[in-house]
Amino acid sequence: MFDPKTRVLVVDDMTTMRKLVMKICTDLGLTDITEAADGEKAWALINTEIKPIGLVISDWNMPHLTGLDLLKRVRADARHKAMPFLLVTAEAEAAQVSEAVKAGVDNYIVKPFNAQTLTEKLEAIHKKRS
Amino acid sequence: MSVSVNVNFFKPFIDGTANTLKVQCSTEAKPMKPYFKGQSNEPERTFSIAAILGITSPSFTGTISVCYPKPVFLGLMNRMLGEKYTDLSRDLEDGAAELLNIIFGHAKRVLNAQGFTLHMAIPTVIRGENMTSRHVSETPTIVLPFSSDLGEFFLEICTYPQQPQGPVAEEKK
Repeated sequence: MFDPKTRVLVVDDMTTMRKLVMKICTDLGLTDITEAADGEKAWALINTEIKPIGLVISDWNMPHLTGLDLLKRVRADARHKAMPFLLVTAEAEAAQVSEAVKAGVDNYIVKPFNAQTLTEKLEAIHKKRS
Repeated sequence: MSVSVNVNFFKPFIDGTANTLKVQCSTEAKPMKPYFKGQSNEPERTFSIAAILGITSPSFTGTISVCYPKPVFLGLMNRMLGEKYTDLSRDLEDGAAELLNIIFGHAKRVLNAQGFTLHMAIPTVIRGENMTSRHVSETPTIVLPFSSDLGEFFLEICTYPQQPQGPVAEEKK
């Protein structure tokens, strides 16, 4: 699993979903968690944080900048392109999954999900990156 | 009232609701007998919070809403977030929208695989005491009630200009 000190960025326009994801991360022992309510705010945080973001868990459908567009920005920027990125979505149609994979997502999770599913996805990302 | 209903259109909403509440809120929601609004023997159902979402497709438009009495919604949020909420708040409101997003995401995936062309939309949340709803449409609104150990809640689906009868290809632009 990720180092407990990994800086985690949770991005979702829904407060309750941010709370849920942050709670699961905290229960997993992650201690450095920050949040953003949309992709633009997340992008600003990624570029201003003194300590680099070590994991992004982002919703897909958000106003201003979607999770997919945020992923594309991250992957297009040499400073951040290796950042582990998990997309969370309520939609899982084949074309969308394919688009996310093409954009370089590390993994994706389809809502509804529970703590076990999120944990397994994070473990898979960590394993792939180790 | 005699109305032709495409059961295949509504089933994914029922399945999506049951699955969403089971996985996200650790709650078993059992579907009860659906009915059309406006019948003389219709049970009176009120709610304290509801999420409403517009449905758009090439052949019809409509709305889907999920309506909860306050104790039911608070119970769902308590289970989802592992906290003890005793009253509705702005922070909790978007939980209703999120649950509807997930339910609709499931239904959209199933129905679009059958050839429907539903689009994702942004839900609206309303909150108040003992609210009821009325859809201004000549098409009957179908009510899909659910029971759970937290109490009953219900979905309402209303489509215009007609009940969806089957998939229609989207016009290419």
